[in-house]
Amino acid sequence: MKKIFILFSIILFFASSITYAKTIRILMETVPDTVYLKELLPEFEKQTGIKVEIEAIGYSDMHSKLVPQLLSSQGSYDLIVVDFYWVGEFTKAKWLMPLDDFVKRDNIDVNRYVPALMNLVGQVDGTIYMLPFYNYSMAMVYRKDMINDPKEQLAFKSETGLDLKVPTSWPEYWKQVEFFTRDNDKDGQTDFFGTVIQGQRGDCVAMHWSNFLYGQGGKYNASNGEPLLNSAAAISAMAYYKEAIAKYSPEGSAAYCFDEAFNIVAQGNAYSLTTFNIMYAGFDDPKSSSVVGKIGIAPNPGGGLNGAWGWAIPNSSPQKEEAWKFMKWAESFDIAKKRALLGGAPTQSKIFKDAEVIKKRPYYPILGEILAGAQEFPVFTYTTEFVEKVGLELNLAATGEKELEKAMNDANKAYRKLLVKDGKLAN
Amino acid sequence: MALTIQKRDQLFGVFLTLPGLATLLIIILFPIIFTIITSFYDYTLLNPHHDSFVGLDNYQEVIEEDYIGDSVLITSQFVLSTVLIEFFIGFIIALSLNKVKRFKTVYYVILLAPLMINPVVVGLIWRMILHTELGIFNYLLKLLNINRVNWLGDNDTAFWTIVFVDIWHQVSFMTILLLAGLSALPREPYEAARMDGASSLRCLISITLPLMRPVITVAILLRLIFSIKTFDIIYIMTKGGPGISTDLVSYFIYRSAFFGLDIGRASALSVGLLIIVLFLTFFLYKYMRSLN
Repeated sequence: MKKIFILFSIILFFASSITYAKTIRILMETVPDTVYLKELLPEFEKQTGIKVEIEAIGYSDMHSKLVPQLLSSQGSYDLIVVDFYWVGEFTKAKWLMPLDDFVKRDNIDVNRYVPALMNLVGQVDGTIYMLPFYNYSMAMVYRKDMINDPKEQLAFKSETGLDLKVPTSWPEYWKQVEFFTRDNDKDGQTDFFGTVIQGQRGDCVAMHWSNFLYGQGGKYNASNGEPLLNSAAAISAMAYYKEAIAKYSPEGSAAYCFDEAFNIVAQGNAYSLTTFNIMYAGFDDPKSSSVVGKIGIAPNPGGGLNGAWGWAIPNSSPQKEEAWKFMKWAESFDIAKKRALLGGAPTQSKIFKDAEVIKKRPYYPILGEILAGAQEFPVFTYTTEFVEKVGLELNLAATGEKELEKAMNDANKAYRKLLVKDGKLAN
Repeated sequence: MALTIQKRDQLFGVFLTLPGLATLLIIILFPIIFTIITSFYDYTLLNPHHDSFVGLDNYQEVIEEDYIGDSVLITSQFVLSTVLIEFFIGFIIALSLNKVKRFKTVYYVILLAPLMINPVVVGLIWRMILHTELGIFNYLLKLLNINRVNWLGDNDTAFWTIVFVDIWHQVSFMTILLLAGLSALPREPYEAARMDGASSLRCLISITLPLMRPVITVAILLRLIFSIKTFDIIYIMTKGGPGISTDLVSYFIYRSAFFGLDIGRASALSVGLLIIVLFLTFFLYKYMRSLN
């Protein structure tokens, strides 16, 4: 009996050491780029023998799931992805590991990234904490088939005196929005919309309205850091926003987020929408869209909101070296290109110009253009709170619950208070 | 020395309740004490330590916070509307089901179905159903030639939409509790009343309601406490909006903690809410007892 026991133990011991392989755990968001990366995982596992477990969850749960892990001395994730919103907070709390030593040791050239993205989700005050993973800068999608329709072109010309083409200025865009808003079944209610607003309070309205702000030539901060949310440009942007809700966008759109807005266009009920560039592929997917092949993409007049996710190794990561190995692999030119070929949103300049990528995805140079003109959103320690507070005032203004100028003044005040709290401005 | 039987029974009782008590202590008392302590410290997610005591500063901040007054008011309106409407509907359904003899199981299953759905799923389903352009509700209205309704995007409508969804989801809880109470009522008083020629309404007012009082108290109390804590459907359906029209206190607390990163302030808010709930429970319980 004893012998059998010893023999059994030995077999177990060897069996366990044979099957033992390192496994790294990554927390990611359920977005197309995560799916593309998952498809390529076997390559990494074959190359390195390291197993990869990706836990993909929805955006709204990510922050509250990440924070407890980052707070503990040993978390359960080796590698994470960080939204640009959280960069200020995570680095201030010292939750992310500086990557400069790794970058130097392995000769990683960070200049391969689009500079705006490296600033957004790469470097903070001269220290590299992240490598840019994918970008979700916002752009305008529009009905190609309608803009190219000679009948529409003629009607537009006679109505406005302008040529119907992809708009490059805000007034031109707004004329088109007005022109395409229609009551097709003549029941007295608009059923085809010039644009779609995503005005839900908080994150949704803050991101979406930013594009209106940039469209008016507005900015979030003056050069001395003072907030500009009650500037003439900001007030005009909100006036346009309100006008859209009242006339050119579906009735409930003050409560929409990006998925609802996407659906309106995908169902063929609207002419244009400002949305994340990563949503674009969805319009060409017959499973989610009835306007396959009819949607074009172009920069938002005045520039769209820049957004991106970066890879980071938390200080609480149990296997930093393995996590770095994976990050290096995922960001190698080869894999980054393969991701782009699958439909991913690149961050490295060379990929936007790669012949093979352009052949498969002809609109990628436009994505490069969108990224080049993308505008900044405030990134500081309290960005998440900023988005909530300002997003509330924007929504109050948009729904008319608060008088426009008062809401923008209150938004400005709330923003200033947070900047002071963060030490960016004197009281 | 041998223990008396009574003493032994007592000891056995203590022994049996110990594991339960210990669990309660860990999962209820500990978080409450931790929250109360944290509410007096500058405890943020950026610096999660009890190292800077700030006294009542967090409470002061809460009182000075924009929109907190609105949030308390909206929460009270929400709690009152949902609990009262659910009670009336629940009681009517319970009364009618109590008389039913056939297919009782079928009714039970239909009634319990919403209750078995996770609130997050309830929120997601209703958000799609009530979508202004693509939702089935407005589509049906259009077939009837009624103008579409902006269910979740309009300040006044959104509040009642949320109340409606909550009622749809929770009314069966009320019904089941009341039904259990009704079916346990003795038959004799009714028979006696019938003999004396009392009408159905008379029976309801003079027999059913007084006899049901303890059950009604418990049902209303439980729903009241659950209703004050409502979070999921707000989080999924409106995020407190449009504007502040559905901004319940629970969602306010969540925002302070996870967007404002300020656990101290969120704890102060939670303690405030706890005190309100305790008072409400205490007074309602006392009032109902005094009626007996």
